[in-house]
Amino acid sequence: MNRYDEKWEDQINALLDGELSEIDADLLKDAAGSDGELARAIIEAHQLQQAMNRIGVERAPASLKKRLRAIPRQEKPGSGFSILQPRWAMALAVIPLIVIVTTVMRPQEPSAREIAQARQDLAVAFAYLDRAGDKTSREIESVVGSTMSDAIAGTVIRNVKSQL
Amino acid sequence: MKRTRTNKQILSRLFTGLLCTLMAVPVMAQEDELKDLPGYIDFGDLSSTYGEPKISINIGGTLLKFVGLMSGDDDPETARMMAGLKGVRVMGYPIDNNAAVAKDRFDEVKGSLKSNGWEPIVQVNEDDERVLIYMKMSGNVMDGMTVMTVDDEEVMFINIIGQLDPRQLGEMMENFDVDIEDSLDLD
Repeated sequence: MNRYDEKWEDQINALLDGELSEIDADLLKDAAGSDGELARAIIEAHQLQQAMNRIGVERAPASLKKRLRAIPRQEKPGSGFSILQPRWAMALAVIPLIVIVTTVMRPQEPSAREIAQARQDLAVAFAYLDRAGDKTSREIESVVGSTMSDAIAGTVIRNVKSQL
Repeated sequence: MKRTRTNKQILSRLFTGLLCTLMAVPVMAQEDELKDLPGYIDFGDLSSTYGEPKISINIGGTLLKFVGLMSGDDDPETARMMAGLKGVRVMGYPIDNNAAVAKDRFDEVKGSLKSNGWEPIVQVNEDDERVLIYMKMSGNVMDGMTVMTVDDEEVMFINIIGQLDPRQLGEMMENFDVDIEDSLDLD
């Protein structure tokens, strides 16, 4: 058949489809009468066509049909709002993030309890600061005496003040 | 089905990221508020050696502002002093006669202060007690004050960020009207 592919294939197809003219059909039959290979090709094509015709249309399962019908709706761009689409999910997630971060970053008025706690913490902090000052004063006093200590402490305070 | 599962994974990851961000934001904001200031000094963390701090105070500018505002009418001096402060930090650890690590950190912080333009105001260097008071200035404006003490019982780091007038400190202590003996084991 390989040798006749180009020559006879269209005519065999046309014969099977019933579209071949009587003259061409006779010519094809004559040729097949003297060419066993062509005759076999025509018979095989005819058998194949009959076999194809015998195959009935099998109905798809309902679940498959449902899923197949849903594909165009899922894939069609801009076909509607779906919260599960990544772009909408991201947009929805970003909105509360922006709102809450803005709220957190904005200075808020602390409660009276927080302010009272801060005052107490400050008192403790300054008490430690005061104690450190006492230690340095004691040390200066033990080295140079109380009179000189006052003078030195005064000098230190003046030095600090002068920098403010 | 695969597409839905992917979207759920995306939503789950976004939600997890959102939670992590929300938990981290307040801490980051408070830390950054002070860390970015020129008067801030990093004392490090000694908890691996001495356990949890005996005292840990970290007051930012917002709270200080409100403390000042609350004091405004009754105590204008305190209000004025609070207006100059941007942060107050205290960190203290009990050291139980194990002062070596604390003294090493003491020296590290001292080195950091020197290299960052802080100036020593008072230094006491005794065998059993050391006290350092450093100050940082930008022109005529005080950026901060750092006080460090270490003895055989405790190491204490104090960082005042902003302006503090020592003349007002004593007056303010009286006006706070807080029984500090309960909170502080003074000598």
